[in-house]
Amino acid sequence: MTTPIVQIQNVSLTFDQFVALDKVSLDVHVGQCTVICGPSGSGKSTLLRCINGLERFQSGDVLVDGTSLRQCRDLPKLRLNIGMVFQHFELYPHMTVLDNITLAPIKAKKLPKAEAQALAWHYLERVGIADQAGKFPGHLSGGQQQRAAIARALALQPKVMLFDEPTSALDPEMISEVLYVMRDLAKDDGMTMLVVTHEMGFARKVADDMIFMDSGRIIEHSSVEEFFDMPKAVRTKEFLNKILTKF
Amino acid sequence: MRYEFSWGMLFTQPYSGWIIDGILTTFHLALISWVIAFALGVLIGVFRVTRSPVLRFVGTAYVELFRNIPLLVQLFIWLYVVPQLLPIAFSSWWNRLEYVPYWTAVIGISFYTSSRIAEQIRSAVMAIPDGQFKAAISTGLTPFQMYRYVIVPYAARIMIPAITSEFLTIFKNTSLALTIGVIEITATARKIEAWSFKGIEAYTVASLTYVATTIGVILFMNWMERRYQIPGLIKRGKEGL
Amino acid sequence: MDWNVIVVSLPLLWKGLLTSLNLTAVSIAFSFPLGCLVAMGRLSHRPWLSNTCASFVHVFRSNPLILILFWFYFLMPMIIGSAINDLTSLIVTFVIFFSAYFAEIVRSGIQSVGTRQMQAGLSSGLTHVQTMRHIIMPQAIRAMLPALTTQCIIVFQGTTVAYIIGYNELLHSASMIAERTVRPIELYLTVAVIYFVVCYSGSLLARRFEKRTYS
Repeated sequence: MTTPIVQIQNVSLTFDQFVALDKVSLDVHVGQCTVICGPSGSGKSTLLRCINGLERFQSGDVLVDGTSLRQCRDLPKLRLNIGMVFQHFELYPHMTVLDNITLAPIKAKKLPKAEAQALAWHYLERVGIADQAGKFPGHLSGGQQQRAAIARALALQPKVMLFDEPTSALDPEMISEVLYVMRDLAKDDGMTMLVVTHEMGFARKVADDMIFMDSGRIIEHSSVEEFFDMPKAVRTKEFLNKILTKF
Repeated sequence: MRYEFSWGMLFTQPYSGWIIDGILTTFHLALISWVIAFALGVLIGVFRVTRSPVLRFVGTAYVELFRNIPLLVQLFIWLYVVPQLLPIAFSSWWNRLEYVPYWTAVIGISFYTSSRIAEQIRSAVMAIPDGQFKAAISTGLTPFQMYRYVIVPYAARIMIPAITSEFLTIFKNTSLALTIGVIEITATARKIEAWSFKGIEAYTVASLTYVATTIGVILFMNWMERRYQIPGLIKRGKEGL
Repeated sequence: MDWNVIVVSLPLLWKGLLTSLNLTAVSIAFSFPLGCLVAMGRLSHRPWLSNTCASFVHVFRSNPLILILFWFYFLMPMIIGSAINDLTSLIVTFVIFFSAYFAEIVRSGIQSVGTRQMQAGLSSGLTHVQTMRHIIMPQAIRAMLPALTTQCIIVFQGTTVAYIIGYNELLHSASMIAERTVRPIELYLTVAVIYFVVCYSGSLLARRFEKRTYS
């Protein structure tokens, strides 16, 4: 077995009195798509943000491609290997879609403008919104904005992609266009992905690994079949019942 | 720089007497003006949000007039211009009043501040989600009942920070009254400095008055907000970078 | 009423207005950058810096302008050792006093953009400084414009305080003329109109800025 590309080792994080993460350990291998689910407040998003250093954990360590976050002197450089997609897209409203995508390649990776733009066009086409490149985010639909956000993250050609509830803020009809992009990323490009989501249909078809978190701990971590057909923990069963049979 | 501090001097006469008078004058000038400003401000604020175009125009004209002229200029107008323009009977009564500068300051500060309060009221009412009005009416409440039970309590809570800030502004604006002869705390400090050359001590007293009052009022406002808080209504999120 | 007085005094009043506008412009030119620095300090992660800047802002916002003017008028000659001219003490007072107000406007402008845009920028490998420069500040400035414009109008209104130390801006010029010609009504009404016109135009500009949002 090769070294996992993301290693979370006994990470704990407390906000004031609230324990957000409680000795969480997890390994993610190259090319794996891991889906994390759980009730709100369970620490899923916090865990994701620990991986790229947006949240500072108090104990334990996270290694990304061998680099320890604790000892890392140059977080911006490390983040070039980790792409992140947010629930509320967070495109920069004062820049066109194209500029949104080329900003980091130009400023952080120091690519020449032409090269950055070529990359941007490539990924815009990949996610299917090349015709929206010159528009401002406010003119795009939610689904288009999120796909633009995915292209923005991909343009840095990261080794790992983190998705923080990417479809939770979307109108129902736009959820599938984003999920298709994510599926192609996982299956065709073999991208290593960690996805926090409630979209169980997507999870069943695309995920390699399933994780259930509650109150800052990983309660269950198993393959897709085991997770849905024979979950081990009671809490997992309860959660799945509520979420799969909504009415 | 040689300066001999003499803080004890502040506690001796005549300085201590002056200081107490100055602080009291500042407080009662601020409070009286505040009461009038608030009453007027609420009235004009209501004008600004009613459906009558005439009342809205009156409200807007009032607010724009008193907002766009510096307070000091307004004080001068009340002091030098208005009495001359009034009928003789009224102006001779006015000029024979004791403490004409004081009451002039009260009038000037009140009108100026009332226009600002009217604006705060308008902002607060406009900040109430439209759905609240619709929900209230759809349950059969009359417009008056809607205002009394739904809109006014909601707006009142939104307004607390802004209204507190207006009170503190009025408190600071009393210092302008020194230009027309009212001996409030800033004027007193200047007077003490002129008599004793101990400017640091004198001005510290004045500054302390303002700073202590500001802190006191803000603490009171925080208490008010917590006491009358509606959970989930006013989001006091701490979004820092 | 004799409005001829106004016609005759127009040159002096015009000079007074220019002086007021000049004083306003110079004060803003130094006060705004200082305010930006204080705002940055306030938002810093280092407690000593953010607390110092917070105290600075609280102190200068709690005291009235006139009192700060008296403080500087009194203290500056003592510190520097020689007499200071009126204009210098006025400008120092205005710059420091109003920087506290500008600092608050800048700070809330930056905070209104929100942490999530900051996270988006950082997560794509930009440094803190790069994110501030390319992502946060452009949005913050657009959000701040109405409040900034209003604050500039307030600075202009604040210049009337110079009257107290006898500096010859518009109000003082007008009062000198009023005393000399014994025509306070005409003079003060005219001055009120002049202030109204300038401030009202400014407020219309502020309202224009408020309407410009991202579509």
